[in-house]
Amino acid sequence: MRTSLYSLRYVLGSAANGLWRNRTMSVGAVITTTIMLITLAAFLAINDTLNQMVSALGRKSNLIAYIRDDARPSDVTRIIRDLQGRSGVAEVVFVTKEDALRIFQERFTDQADVIDILQANPLPASVELRMENPAVLPSLADELRELSDTFETVVVPLDVVERLIAVSNVSRVAGTVMVIALTGVTLFVVVNTIRVAVYARRQEIEIMKLVGATDWFVRGPFVIEGAFIGVFGATMAAGAMLVLYAQVGPSITQIISFLPINTNVDYVRSLALFIVLVGLVVGSIGSYFSVRRYLAI
Amino acid sequence: MIVLQGVSKTYEGFTALSNVSVSIARGEFAFLIGTNGAGKTTLLRVLLREETFDQGVVLVNGVDISTIRGAALTKFRRKIGMVFQDTRLLPNATVSENVGLPLKVRGRSNRDVSMAVAEVLERVDLSEKAPRFPRQLSGGEQRKVALARAIISRPEILLCDEPTDSINPLHAREIIELLLDINAEGVTTLVATHDSEIVNDLRRRVIRMDAGSVLEDMAVGVFNTS
Repeated sequence: MRTSLYSLRYVLGSAANGLWRNRTMSVGAVITTTIMLITLAAFLAINDTLNQMVSALGRKSNLIAYIRDDARPSDVTRIIRDLQGRSGVAEVVFVTKEDALRIFQERFTDQADVIDILQANPLPASVELRMENPAVLPSLADELRELSDTFETVVVPLDVVERLIAVSNVSRVAGTVMVIALTGVTLFVVVNTIRVAVYARRQEIEIMKLVGATDWFVRGPFVIEGAFIGVFGATMAAGAMLVLYAQVGPSITQIISFLPINTNVDYVRSLALFIVLVGLVVGSIGSYFSVRRYLAI
Repeated sequence: MIVLQGVSKTYEGFTALSNVSVSIARGEFAFLIGTNGAGKTTLLRVLLREETFDQGVVLVNGVDISTIRGAALTKFRRKIGMVFQDTRLLPNATVSENVGLPLKVRGRSNRDVSMAVAEVLERVDLSEKAPRFPRQLSGGEQRKVALARAIISRPEILLCDEPTDSINPLHAREIIELLLDINAEGVTTLVATHDSEIVNDLRRRVIRMDAGSVLEDMAVGVFNTS
């Protein structure tokens, strides 16, 4: 137990010494990590904005189900409640016959007397759905069309919906592929930077092994150094990102108001935390594998 | 007890060891002599298990070292002290840190390490150089540091590869006297060298190698017997 504590103390001290004595390499690795993680954070933010944009467009797509005049109010109420609980549905609005008439009169002021001539309100009540996920619209429309006792017609702007679904799918797939690729590139660059630093100290590793060090004893300081480099680089990247969000975010949101840039504090914080975690994992794993080849002695 | 039986080793077509058979008793002192490329360094590296071999058997205290892996290999190496031809001192570590390394890797406390380092540096007469870095030492001093690192953990076997190479005769003599002292404490000592003066002076066991083979094994040998 005591031996383990002494070893742990040695490993930590050795990691600190290694960082200091190889400071040029360490600084280089930190800078590389920072640049790569800033790039990754920027891309994650852009990807999130694109996804938000597609979702926002999706919310603008509607389904309108016109209610038969002889439909039972209890059926209408039940169906509305059911729709409100459906996934992919953002909002359910019930438009009464009176509301429909008022809207018609507001929109078509020059034809307002048409209603007077008819002496009755010919406009049907309706249920309008605003979607969170436009992909479910076609199946939902089919489902409502089957309720012919309640609904007269169900109108869906299918061409718009199909385009939205296509854009959404492309955006999601492309975004995921890019995030995976960029994470891979980040891992590759950071691991190779650490590998260069480890290579410069391969003799040290060999000597430690030859004088009777265990693999853990040799690897420990390098993994801690790698973790430190990763976390330090990631913290700088996260710091730069937080500053950018705070200083430039509001201006960009004003200039490009149609872009739903997510400046929510919780989102920015979680993105920063994610970047720090990526730095920690990449730094530790990078060192772990970089040292491995020199341990086989 | 070290026993090599029919040990051979080739590097990409170059024969480094060819059917080497030799035994060294516990506590014995022996010189390995021969020209460059004779196989002396390879033999020492095989004994440290820094190198594997292609054929034959190597037994150290009855254990076939070719079968040792992982933690057992670490334990095995802790019984051996090695002075490398190029010293292999860590350039960014001080003399104290270099010498104390074998104890550090065993998880010994800073206090224990400091005491042992002070003791062994005094023995090699380098106490005042403790805070220096290897680049601040002469060639002879660097070899003494390497020797101090090899003996600090009180190994059962001491392997020295050209410990007096390229250093002045005074330092060479000091190092050899230290090796004899250490051997007198019961440490099996195998010294690879081409320093004829020292070999001829000491009149100890000499194993002459050439082109990877053992040519002669003399209980009391001299350098120029051929």
